[in-house]
Amino acid sequence: MTPSPVLTPMLAPVLAIDGLVKRFGKRTILDGISMNVVPGEIVCLVGPSGTGKSTLLRCVNGLEDIQDGRIMFDGLMVRAPARDIIEVRKRIGMIFQQFNLYPHLTALQNVLLAPVVVHREDRRVVEARARELLDRVRLSHRIDAYPAQLSGGEQQRVAIARALATNPHMLMFDEPTSALDPETVGEVLAVMRDLAHEGRTMLVVTHEMRFAAEVGTRMVFMDQGKIVEEGNPRAMLAAPRTERAQRFLQTIQQ
Amino acid sequence: MADTSLLVYAPILLKAVGLTIWLSWLALLIGGLGGLVLALMRISRFRPLRLFALLYTELFRSIPILIVLFFCYYGVPLVFGTDLSAFAAATLALGLHASSMMSEVIRAGIGSVGTGQWEAAQAAGMTYRQMMRHIIGPQAMQVILPPSVGIYIMVLKESSVASIIGYVELTATGLLIRESVGGGFTILGVVALFYFVLCYTISLAGGVLESRMKVVGHGMPIGELR
Repeated sequence: MTPSPVLTPMLAPVLAIDGLVKRFGKRTILDGISMNVVPGEIVCLVGPSGTGKSTLLRCVNGLEDIQDGRIMFDGLMVRAPARDIIEVRKRIGMIFQQFNLYPHLTALQNVLLAPVVVHREDRRVVEARARELLDRVRLSHRIDAYPAQLSGGEQQRVAIARALATNPHMLMFDEPTSALDPETVGEVLAVMRDLAHEGRTMLVVTHEMRFAAEVGTRMVFMDQGKIVEEGNPRAMLAAPRTERAQRFLQTIQQ
Repeated sequence: MADTSLLVYAPILLKAVGLTIWLSWLALLIGGLGGLVLALMRISRFRPLRLFALLYTELFRSIPILIVLFFCYYGVPLVFGTDLSAFAAATLALGLHASSMMSEVIRAGIGSVGTGQWEAAQAAGMTYRQMMRHIIGPQAMQVILPPSVGIYIMVLKESSVASIIGYVELTATGLLIRESVGGGFTILGVVALFYFVLCYTISLAGGVLESRMKVVGHGMPIGELR
């Protein structure tokens, strides 16, 4: 695997993964993953399902423990005492495939909760920011709705606002549009596009190749727990170097 | 008329009703707290804790309340060298029993909250306590509440066993009155009616509480977020 010639980042990486190994029992899910993310990068993780893309995200914020290797975020070790992992999680905003909004709280309360409870910010300050965020994801009219009253696309946009509310250093998207109806995919991607243009650091597991080509600064193709190829998304989509990537991209573009 | 003469006993009976409520309420409180601790032990990562909680739950679920009561009343003084009043022994026995029932209910309630909720809360950087208090607890409550009402009713009725060790609550009062008026069933009917009214009221109140929590997402006022 040759490093991308397009990007020779001079910035210190915000996320540094080195030789990460993750096993479930005897099955190896991640087999020696090494990659960096520098501030402002939008890294799209692509590849066949079951190759460990989502697991990689979950390892980064400690939702899964790892068997070998090292993950550093903001200079903090991810596999470490509880205090460290909580500090890492506080600095990463995570968006799930199934949204995972808190069903007993309204949209606004969902956005408010972490800043108030975890980051101990003043509620009035946070509330103003939460309203702004919900406005930015175009949901100012749904502020008092409960998740059950929202469509999938609306729920995912609330989830994005919730992730943004704590001013995270990086956003992680775990197949954010895979559970959505086709007609609501666009509204979520539009919000993500806005975030990309703001220069947010994003690590995105996705099957939306057009989105990756449009806003991704780097594409990482994974197969069977390994990084097979990485590079500029447009270049990679146009002419993948490895045979495995070629095959995958062919099937997905049909 | 024997029936009207019973009116003389009304104040004593009402006081006994109060004692029964007090006793069962305390037992429910102990049961709720004990049940919560046991339920958290049941889902703990630490195996000895899980085993202890399992053993406790299974044990107290299968031993008749009367035996537990005798153990508390006669056994505790033997082991710890301190006498327990009939009230304390009854509260303890009912509380021990109630906690075994409540632990199952609370465990089921916590178990009903999907893994996505735990993960979202963890990913947000919440500690175990924050997660339990703000995410898992409120959602589990929906599942916990209905059977808890049933358990409270059960505890309230069970509290009548306290009469056996000489604690004069509602049942014991009824029996004493019956003796002093020379038998008859009227007083037992009155006692039964009191139990019915108490239990039915709890049942209705539980229903109201439940339906209030069911509204869409049973929202928590923002003021409670701290």
